[in-house]
Amino acid sequence: MRRREFLAFVAPSVLVMGGLLLLPLYRTVEWSFERVDYGEPGEFVGLDNYGEALTDPRLGQAVLFTLGLTAAVVAALLVGGYLLAVMVNRLGRAKPWVLGILLVSYVVPHVVGATMFSWLFDANFGGVVNQVVTLVTGREVLWFTDPWPNRVMVWLNTIWFMLPFSMLVIIAGLQGVSTEVIEAAKIDGAGPVRTHWSVIIPNIRGVLGFVAIISIMDILRTFDQLIPLSPQAVQIGNESIMLYIYNIAFQDGGQQLGLGSAVNVLLILLIGLLLFPFIRDVAREARQA
Amino acid sequence: MSILEKSESGTVRPEPVTPSRRPRKYGRASLLVGGALVLICLAMLSPVLWTAATVTKPTDVAFLNPPQFFYEPTLTSFVDLWQTTQFYKYLINTLVVAVLSTIAALVIGIPAAYALSRYPGWISAVLLIAALVFRALPRFSVVLPMYDISRALGVYDTTFAVAAALVAINQPFSIWLLRNFFAEIPKELDEAAMLDGCTRFQTLRRVMVPLMGPGILTAGIFIFLFAFQEYLTANILTDVSARTVPVFIATQLGQTLPMLQQAGAAAMLLTLPVVAFAFIAQRYLVAGLNAGSVKG
Repeated sequence: MRRREFLAFVAPSVLVMGGLLLLPLYRTVEWSFERVDYGEPGEFVGLDNYGEALTDPRLGQAVLFTLGLTAAVVAALLVGGYLLAVMVNRLGRAKPWVLGILLVSYVVPHVVGATMFSWLFDANFGGVVNQVVTLVTGREVLWFTDPWPNRVMVWLNTIWFMLPFSMLVIIAGLQGVSTEVIEAAKIDGAGPVRTHWSVIIPNIRGVLGFVAIISIMDILRTFDQLIPLSPQAVQIGNESIMLYIYNIAFQDGGQQLGLGSAVNVLLILLIGLLLFPFIRDVAREARQA
Repeated sequence: MSILEKSESGTVRPEPVTPSRRPRKYGRASLLVGGALVLICLAMLSPVLWTAATVTKPTDVAFLNPPQFFYEPTLTSFVDLWQTTQFYKYLINTLVVAVLSTIAALVIGIPAAYALSRYPGWISAVLLIAALVFRALPRFSVVLPMYDISRALGVYDTTFAVAAALVAINQPFSIWLLRNFFAEIPKELDEAAMLDGCTRFQTLRRVMVPLMGPGILTAGIFIFLFAFQEYLTANILTDVSARTVPVFIATQLGQTLPMLQQAGAAAMLLTLPVVAFAFIAQRYLVAGLNAGSVKG
């Protein structure tokens, strides 16, 4: 392909991304150094916003909440996704049906899925899970106002809608493991558990790593599900980083656009760091293409 | 390896779901796995099932605690939803945004992805890395400025603005996914087409696009789905007239009980087609997720 053709083909896409992603991104970086209100030119304040962000205990709490969510959910996605993938992979004719059912939570809009999820736990809605938990433990659990139960509910919901993705990617990985290796392990006398642990899992380590990194990046952006699941997020310390940005930079009264932008920039730096191994691989691959 | 052989094995097609030819013997392990899967499927569907039950209850039964399992089903909440809110308008907005942004994203993305799969070198590397980083950006870092800009331009609260924002936001994903599918098509096919006198554009339009049919369908399904699911962008770029269904449902929360039940009805009306969609598009979604290194 000639250079001119290449440029003509990529131009529309580059223009769209340049105008609608890069330009706004530039604005965010600019705002992060300013004290600013919507629709008005800002006033340069240097690194004040960054200083304020890094010393705000509320952001510290949001980071803690997000990290806890990440650790719990990624662990569950790897273990649960693997077990589910192994089970589904064995299926014959039922496979498309099971996959269809399992994909429902992935395709429903997160905010809608979380709304429906919250009603399972909502005593006002005669929530059936809430009812069962109360019967079993003999205590009324405050899912929406008590920090820990609320956290657990958010974890469960996040696992609920991310599990299908993890399962599907792992299934793809399982299909790439050669049957000879597995048979060799069986001949050597390895039981099913041993075969999984010492042969299959090391073989798909790359795939598991991929699931982990993608999930981590998605959970860092947690926002949608908290709207229905944690209406008291600020009071009980269950704000995610993104919800914190939304609350201070956009919600009524909070017009601290500069501070929100500074947090955004910090988050971008962190994501860039996480992405580094992938960036290296892409650079290598694209040069050869 | 001949061109024909390679194009046959090159998996542009999403993986066919073949019934496995295992001897039909249901041991104890299989029964256990089957039972576990049934339970897991039920658990995964439980929020949808519970909502479906709740919105078909009369309002005075729906909010009883402990919950009532036997009741006379009614569709009142659906009728109320339709009559007392502008639900149909939000539904149309959601569809318009999703369809517009899907078409635009494909029209812009296909040539770019094709070019990126055929032109090695540093420009491609830089563009692909930029796309990877853009895909992973915290949404607010582009959407908050978009709010400011759309107000300044006077397009705030229009479906056009939301669709345009989503084309840009989904562009990195679509070019990655499409590029991976294009990369599976052997370059020899391009060369053959061009020897026969096609220009690059004709090669793309007459040879590549027909070959890419399933890949384009997969990408289209994903972009449509993302646009359809989007809450954050739609919430920030719309007010009343361009409001989408997810935003509407979120604003109904914390209101009076009948309104809550209407929100449930809205959730069901949005979910049922999506569930049907999941079943029909299941193999394309699987192919797209398996095409791997794109989501993120």
